Amino acid sequence: MPRIELTVNRRVEVVDVPVQWTLLQLLRDGLGLDGTKEGCGEGSCGACTVLVDGRLTRACLSLAVRAAGRHVSTVEGLAREGVLDRVQTAFVQHGAIQCGFCTPGFLMTTTALLAEHPAATDHEIREFLSGNFCRCGGYTLILNAVRSLVGRDVVTRRAARA
Amino acid sequence: VILRPFEYVECATIDDAVKAVVAHGDDARLIAGGTALVPLMKHQIIRPRVLVSLAGIPGLDAIEPGGHGALSIGALATHHDVARSAHVRAIAPLLAHACSRVASPTIRAMGTLGGNLCYGESASDPSPALLALGAQATLAGPGGERIVPLAQFFTGFYETALADGEVLVRVTVPAMPAGARWRYLKWTPRAREDKALVGLAVVLQVEDGRCRLARLAVGGVASSPVPLVAAAQALEGRSIDDRTIAGAADAAAMELEPMDDLQGTAVYRRDMLRLWTRRVLHELAREVAG
Repeated sequence: MPRIELTVNRRVEVVDVPVQWTLLQLLRDGLGLDGTKEGCGEGSCGACTVLVDGRLTRACLSLAVRAAGRHVSTVEGLAREGVLDRVQTAFVQHGAIQCGFCTPGFLMTTTALLAEHPAATDHEIREFLSGNFCRCGGYTLILNAVRSLVGRDVVTRRAARA
Repeated sequence: VILRPFEYVECATIDDAVKAVVAHGDDARLIAGGTALVPLMKHQIIRPRVLVSLAGIPGLDAIEPGGHGALSIGALATHHDVARSAHVRAIAPLLAHACSRVASPTIRAMGTLGGNLCYGESASDPSPALLALGAQATLAGPGGERIVPLAQFFTGFYETALADGEVLVRVTVPAMPAGARWRYLKWTPRAREDKALVGLAVVLQVEDGRCRLARLAVGGVASSPVPLVAAAQALEGRSIDDRTIAGAADAAAMELEPMDDLQGTAVYRRDMLRLWTRRVLHELAREVAG
C-alpha cells in the first residue's frame, strides 16, 4: 500500500492509502473528514468538490495517490478557531442552506470563484456554480449569498416579481 | 461508489507509458484527468488491471506556438487551461470557446484535451472544433511517432485510430484563415452542463459576399464527431444568401446517420442539426455583412 504525504487544511498528513481509493475515501474514511459529501459518486453533482493546490477538484473522481505532495482544502478548513469564514457567514446570513448536503461543495466552489473572479458578474456566478446541484432547489438563496460576497445586490422575491 | 483494486503505474516519460501499455496489453488503460475513465471503472463498464498514469510526465500539458502560425497543445492540458490560454485565444479562439463549454468548471479543471479525444465520445465539445480547424494528432507508439489528421482519428462509436500501445502526445492546430468567422454552438437537451445533442463548429471565410472556405463539424449527432463535408461543399464558391444557407443546412442534416437514444431521437437530432446549421450560418453571414 503506497504511503503518501500531503497537506490537508494546512496540516501535514502521512497516510497509507489503498491505490484504488479516491480522494473522497481518503478524506472521509482515512482522515475522518466527513464534511465532504458523496452525492452521485460520478462527478456530476458537485457535493464532493474540494480544492487541490487551489484548483477545483471532484474528490470522487480523483485518485488519492495523486494527492501526494499537494495541498487539499476542504470545508473543515474554512473556519478558523471556530469562527466561520466570510463564505460560510454569507451562506448562513442569506439562509442559503436547507438540508445542507450540497453546502460543502457550494462553499468550496464559491471559494474558488472568489479567488478567480473577485467581482464576478451574475453570468460568471451562474457559470461557476453550474456544476453544483442543490436538490432542495435553494438556488435563489445560494445565488444571493454569492452575490453578496462580490458586492452585487441580492435579488429578493418581491424585486424578482416586479 | 467505490473502485475495484488495480495496479497504478506513474510514468516519467512518454516512452515509459508506451512500454507500460505494450507490456500490459488489454489489461492496461491510460489515465490522464480521470473524469471519463473513473466513472466507467466505478460502474465496471471497463475493468483495467493496470492504470498507466500520464499525469507525472513533465511538459505534457504545454500549450505553445507550433511554427507557421500554428498551435501545439500537449495531451495533458486541461480544458480549463486551453480555454484560458492566450495562445489558444489568439490562434484558435474557436477551440478556446468550445473548451469553455465542456461540462462544468470543476470537470474542466480536471479533464484533459487528450483524454477527451481518446475517449472518442461523439458529444465531445473540443472534437468538432478541432475538426473544423483541420487539427492533427501526434501519436507515440512502439515504432515511434505518427501524425493522424483528426478527420481520420474518430473511427466509430467510442472508437479511435489509436493502435495498441499508442499514446496521444499532442494536437497541432493550424492558424485560422485570415478574416475567417467562427462559431461553436452547443445545443443541450436540458441544462447548460449537459452533453451536446448538437455541438456544431463552423469556420467560414467570406469575400465579396461569396464563400471562399467553409469548415463545419458536429458532435453529438452521429456515432462519433464528424466533419460536415456536404454542407461545406454546398457553401464554398457560392454567394452567401438565404438559398445557399438553407441548402447547406439541408445537406448537413442529410449527410449523417443520427444516433437515436434517450437524449433525443434520430429525427429530433436531424431537425436540430438543420435548424442550428441554418441559424449559425445566418448569424455569421450577418456578422460578415457588418
